[in-house]
Order: sequence, then structure tokens, then C-alpha cells
Amino acid sequence: MKLELGDVQGLFARGYGDLKSAAFLLLKVEEAAAARHWLGEARVTNADDRRPEHAVNVAFTSSGLERLGLPAAALAQFSNEFVAGMTTPHRTRILGDLEENAPESWDWGGPTSPVDAVLLLYARDEASLAPLEQVPAGFSLVRRLGTADLDGFEPFGFRDGISQPYVDGLGKTGPREQTVKPGEFLLGYENEYGHTTDAPLLHNGSYLVFRQLRQDVSGFWRFADEATRRSDGSSDPDARLRLASKMVGRWPSGAPLALAPDADDPSLAFANDFAYHADDPRGARCPVGAHIRRSNPRDSLDPNPGSAGSFEINRRHRILRRGREYGPPLPLEQALEHDDGGERGLHFICLNANIARQFEFVHHTWLNNRKFGQLYDDADPFFAPGCFTIPTDGVRDRVVDVPRFVSVQGGAYFFLPGLAALRSLASV
Amino acid sequence: MPYQRALTIDAPVRAGARAELESLLATMGDGVANGSVLDFGGLSGLHFARVAVVPEDNGLPAHLIILTDVDVSAAKHLGELAEQEGLDRLFSHCAGFSGDRLDYLRRHTVKEQARYVNTTGRTSSQIKQEAKLRDAIEEFLDAGDWSGRDPGQVRRAVRQHVQGDPELAWALEEAERPGGLARLREKLHLIAIPLLLLPLLPLLLLALPVFAIVLRSHERRDGTPPHVKQEQDRILELAALEDHLVQNPFMAVGHVKPGKFRLLTLSAVLIGLNFTTRHIFNRGNLSGVKTIHFARWVFLDGKQRMFFASNYDGSMESYMDDFIDKVAWGLNLVFSNGVGYPKTRWLVFGGAKNELAFKDFLRVQQVPTHVWYSAYGDLTALNIAQNERIRAGLHGDPDEREWVQSL
Repeated sequence: MKLELGDVQGLFARGYGDLKSAAFLLLKVEEAAAARHWLGEARVTNADDRRPEHAVNVAFTSSGLERLGLPAAALAQFSNEFVAGMTTPHRTRILGDLEENAPESWDWGGPTSPVDAVLLLYARDEASLAPLEQVPAGFSLVRRLGTADLDGFEPFGFRDGISQPYVDGLGKTGPREQTVKPGEFLLGYENEYGHTTDAPLLHNGSYLVFRQLRQDVSGFWRFADEATRRSDGSSDPDARLRLASKMVGRWPSGAPLALAPDADDPSLAFANDFAYHADDPRGARCPVGAHIRRSNPRDSLDPNPGSAGSFEINRRHRILRRGREYGPPLPLEQALEHDDGGERGLHFICLNANIARQFEFVHHTWLNNRKFGQLYDDADPFFAPGCFTIPTDGVRDRVVDVPRFVSVQGGAYFFLPGLAALRSLASV
Repeated sequence: MPYQRALTIDAPVRAGARAELESLLATMGDGVANGSVLDFGGLSGLHFARVAVVPEDNGLPAHLIILTDVDVSAAKHLGELAEQEGLDRLFSHCAGFSGDRLDYLRRHTVKEQARYVNTTGRTSSQIKQEAKLRDAIEEFLDAGDWSGRDPGQVRRAVRQHVQGDPELAWALEEAERPGGLARLREKLHLIAIPLLLLPLLPLLLLALPVFAIVLRSHERRDGTPPHVKQEQDRILELAALEDHLVQNPFMAVGHVKPGKFRLLTLSAVLIGLNFTTRHIFNRGNLSGVKTIHFARWVFLDGKQRMFFASNYDGSMESYMDDFIDKVAWGLNLVFSNGVGYPKTRWLVFGGAKNELAFKDFLRVQQVPTHVWYSAYGDLTALNIAQNERIRAGLHGDPDEREWVQSL
């Protein structure tokens, strides 16, 4: 089935990489009638608009839809995860949002600061972004989230956003292993199980998961430095970089350890057509617990690792990442020297059609799972404190007591409606 | 040492007492560990235990269900269980309880139609011991400098360390296995049943086309059941009990489709299933699913209803995905004979492959496990198997490189 890109919000098709400046306005619905009126007139950028000068997308939480006046029966068409939201007790458990990460202490999205909608704004530069930043009538501003352009790198200093699934029918084509049916990201289309979830309100829409993740850049590099000191107590920059890269699964350039096990190789910076099982089943190159191997195990999944069937299972747990970094960059030398306490990190944004089977599954069954891939007590070094095992040819290395480098500052499940659905929301 | 055995207690709940019993269960513990009313930790050879209530439905009564998986003899286990005074508080909600716990337990013990054991003959104490062994070896490795040492040297050092620790010395002997007589009985069962069925084979082959035609007509007549979504509040209630440990309990109950054909089909499938799990899927792998510790299928209400209960690793979502991706056909074989199950074709196709209909069906049929006990809640089935290999590698003549790499 052909994608109705003119009716889909643009974020589905692209992350607006050319539009370097972006801001996310977290909103509350104050007056339903005025808010609906704005919805009816809003100029929302669709996915057919290939090179817009600026872009405006909008998404709602379930409380937002309710406050706009959507009746309970209509809300029940949406998935349970979306309707219940990100902060139910069970969900905080599976997402690891406990203790210092608990929603009670979030800047937004938690019980003290709920959010109804997010306005996603993109422009070429800050000057052309400014006029877009208007709180629409009927809404109030909960929080403005600014972004930073780190030129394709995330705050720890690693190239990010390399691995994205290819959406079948969306233009760019890629290897079969990484080409996913549109219904995995867009409602109203066939998904990887050959099924379609559809309803007028859902049609051409997608669930948008938003998490603000603060990154302790100084803490990360100082930990890697301490953990790799030579016996005389001096820093070992090579070993430090190696440990950090083992945790990520890629070198800073982006070269995957699966292909470049011994040293960074910028010629492989964007390499993404690789698998794990044939050459690296135990993780001697890329540790099983490394971030990129957990978040996308490729062909390592049971029951038949290394097979097309393994990739097939993997394809049912993909997400389209659309995040942006925020905060000033902190160069390595400075990060090692002292902690400037700066607010920096990632506004993690992803699109998926089934939050439970995609975002939550990846988070709980892969990233946060201490038992992932036959491990015992490891956690993703970027998501939870704990132990990190580095397989070698002989006795494994094990880094114990890895502290928390990434903390959750806010988050919510949104729905990014199709354009016709937006108009129908305007008239509920 | 016997093979693991399952105990199923099915006691009728007195009319009107169900709500009170459920609220008692909900307060018996924190839902995941030892309850305050029953001391499961004190039972010998226990792997898993649970107490749950199957609600009344369409004129069928509510049931109090107690399930355990143990290594000890049925008599010993029942005796120990009967000493639990807390049972009085449970059974006081049940019909026909006079105060004699042992007698009541005996009278309400039912036989499961089929069951699955991850690895037959592996005891609870072996599992716990081998986990300690692995922890000790890992600590020993953390403390040492192994650069430049070959696998043989590492293994010898580990062996020496284990040998030198009286708490671990048992590990240098092979794990205890079920006795020769018990193993012989299993072998005979494996051979005898097919042999006995062999003469019936021509008959079965003749009956197969008839069966297929009747089956298809039933499947067509059943049609596509309405896709029912579970209430949001109920899902939150069920989920609140999940993901506290590495493992989770699952339990679901449903009505067998009316008529002789479905009951006969289901009964035959369960006999076949029980034979296969007993003899084939008994080494950590249930047709590709490696995350289930124990499972059982039990009829209720004179075969009008059936429940399924299991102990599995990971989240409910990953469990359901495993079902769909790896054993949809197996689930269809059994559960398509139940009311409301997504439409199947030829008994094995479709059904669970209809992802959302299947997942919603499971959430609708699910029964909360308010009281649940795991003797080793921080170990996955894969961990347990790996620990067993580590211990086995301490003796004999393993590939030393592989063994060291498995640590």
C-alpha cells in the first residue's frame, strides 16, 4: 500500500537534519475550544514536503486528547500503553525509572508537571526558529526544551543516529535485514506480522516516545579514566578510549567494533550493514552488553542466531529515532579535568506503532535487562548502574560498579496524528 | 533423588467467599516472595509455588488453586505443606474443609493433563548451589591477574580454589542424577507408548481425513471471535504484580469450546504434548523458547474449563512475543479449542500469529498470581544451564578454552 505522505506528519519521514535549530514546546491544554480552533488552522508540515524551510509537528499525550474533548470511547481506540502513560508503577519498573530517575523528580511529564502536547519546531537557524516559537491560543507553556547541534555526535562524543531501519516504501532502500514494514511505525499500514491497526483517528499516525536524558559527560570520561589507569597511577588514553568504545559498541567516529575490533577506523564511520553471530558470537569484539548490541542485536537472537529468522524477530523491535542533543558540548580534556555541572544530554524521541512491542521491549528486554544475551548481572552502561563484562579470548574483563551516567529528566508517550486526524480532532 | 514433580491443589471456593479470599491473597505477601501466611521457604526441594483464585464464571464455581514444583516425594511434600497452619485461613473460604489439612490437600489434589519442566532431574538445591559456585568463581577471577595465562592454567587455578573451599568442594563431583530405576522407567515410557500406539496407526491414518474435514467445519463455524480488549484498570492490576524478579508467573483460564469434538481434540493434543515435553523438550528448550522454567495445563470443572500456568523469564510482553514468534503453532494446537481464541486454520495456522488479538486474548484470560514464590528468583533458565556447564567443566576433559570463555 502506498504511503499517504501528504497526510503524515513530516517527522515520520525525516529528522530534519538540514534544519539545524530546533525547540520543543511542552504544552498544557487550557481552553479546549481555543486549542481545537488552533488545531484546525495550524500549518503542520507533512511528510511530502521534502525540503521545507522550517517545520512544525505536533503530538498529544492521552491527557491532552482527553482535555481537547475526545470522548472516552474514542480514546479507547488507542493502545493501552499510550492511554495509561509512561509513569504507571509497572512502567516505571520496566523502564528503570526508579530512585533518582523516578517520575516524581522529573522536570516534566511526572505527577508534578504533566504535559498534554508537544510542539516540535525546526528551522535553519536560531533567528528563523524564534518566530515559530509561539504558544498557540488555548495552550500554556509547561517547558521549552532547547536543542544543540553537535554535528551528528552525542554529548559523550560518539557519532549517533547511524543505525535507522529503512521503511519499506519510503524511498531510501537498504538491505532486507534492516528494511521494515511501514506498519511498524505508521498506523493504518501492514506491520511485520502482516497485520494492520487502523481507525480514522489513528490513520497515518504514530506513537511518539519522548525522554529527556541528561548525560553526565564528565562522570563518564572520568570513570573510564579511573578504570583504566596504569599500575603507576597515570592515565592511559588508549585504554580509556577502548573501554568507552566497548561500552558503546562503536568508536567515536562511529566505526562499529564488530568491524573494527582493535582501533577506530573513520573509513567505517557510517558502516551499518553488519551482523554479530558469524564473527563475534561471544562478544570478544563488541561485548554482548554494549549499548548498540543491546539496542539492536541484529542476528544474535534466539532460537537461531545468525539466521534470517533471527533478523526477522529483530525487525519486530525497531524504532525510528528522531532525537536531538541539548546543552553545550564538553570537550574530552575539559570533561576529564572537572565537572562543570552543565545541563546536557539527549532529547530522545522515537516513533513506533506499538509502544509495548517496540520502545518498551527494547528498553526492558534488551537495554535494562541484566540477563540480556545470557549475561548474569550486567546492565546497559548508559542506562543503569552495575557491572559491565568484556569478553576476551581468555578470562573476561569485568568492570564493576559502573555508576549512573544518564538520568531521566522527563518523558511522556505522545501520539503524532495524521493531518486529517488532526483536523477531526479540531472538531470533536 | 526423584524427578521434579508438580502438585496441583484445586479446592472449591464457598459461594460468596471469593472476594474475601482474593483480598486475603492480595495481602499475604508482596506478591512475589514468601507470604506472611504461608512459609514456602520452609518446604524441602521447592522450586516454585503459587496461590491463585480462578473466578466463578457462567455458573461454574470459583476455585482456590495451589501449585508447587518440587523435588521431593509427593507424600513428604504434602506432609510438609499440611504443617502450614496458614492454610487454615485459605481453606476456611473453601467448601468441605473440616480442619484436617492433610486430608483436605489429599482430597483436592488433581492430576495435571500436561506439564513442562525446563530440565528434568535438576534439583532446586543443585540450582542454588551451582549459582553460588559461579559467584565464587567470578569473584576469584576478579581478584586475580590472568594476563599471559593459558586456559589450562586458569582452569587448574579455579579447580584448586574450589577444592580448597570446603563450602564448594561438592562441585568437584558430578551433579546427582535421578536414580537408574527412575531413568529406566522414563526410557520404557518413551518406547512403550509409541509401540502400543503402533497397531492403531492404520486406523489413525484412516481417521485423519475425517478429522480434518470435521475440524475445518468447526473452525469455519467458530469464525472470528470478537476482538475483546482487557479493561485498562485490570491490565494495570495484572501488571502491578509483574517484573519484580527476573522471572514472572503467568496463569490463564478459559472455557473449552462446547461439544465432544473440541474436548476430544484438546485431550488428545494434551496427551501428545505431555509425551513430547516429557521425552523431547526436556533439556531447556521448548521448541525454541528457552525462558520457561515450569508450566502445566490442568482441566477444571469436569473439563469445562482449563487453566495454564507457567514460570518464565523476562516480561509478559517478551513472553507473548516468544509465543508468537517461536511456538504459535503449539499454542494454537491447545488453545484454539478454547472459547474466544483468535481464529485458526487447520488447528495450527493463524491464531497466535494475529498478534494483537492474541495478546489481548491472553490479558483477558489471565488470572492474577497474588501469591508467588520462587526459590531462585534472580536466575534465568539460561543462567541455570550455564552454571551447570561451569560446574561440569570442573571435572572431566572439557575444551578448556571454551570453558574459560564461558566464565
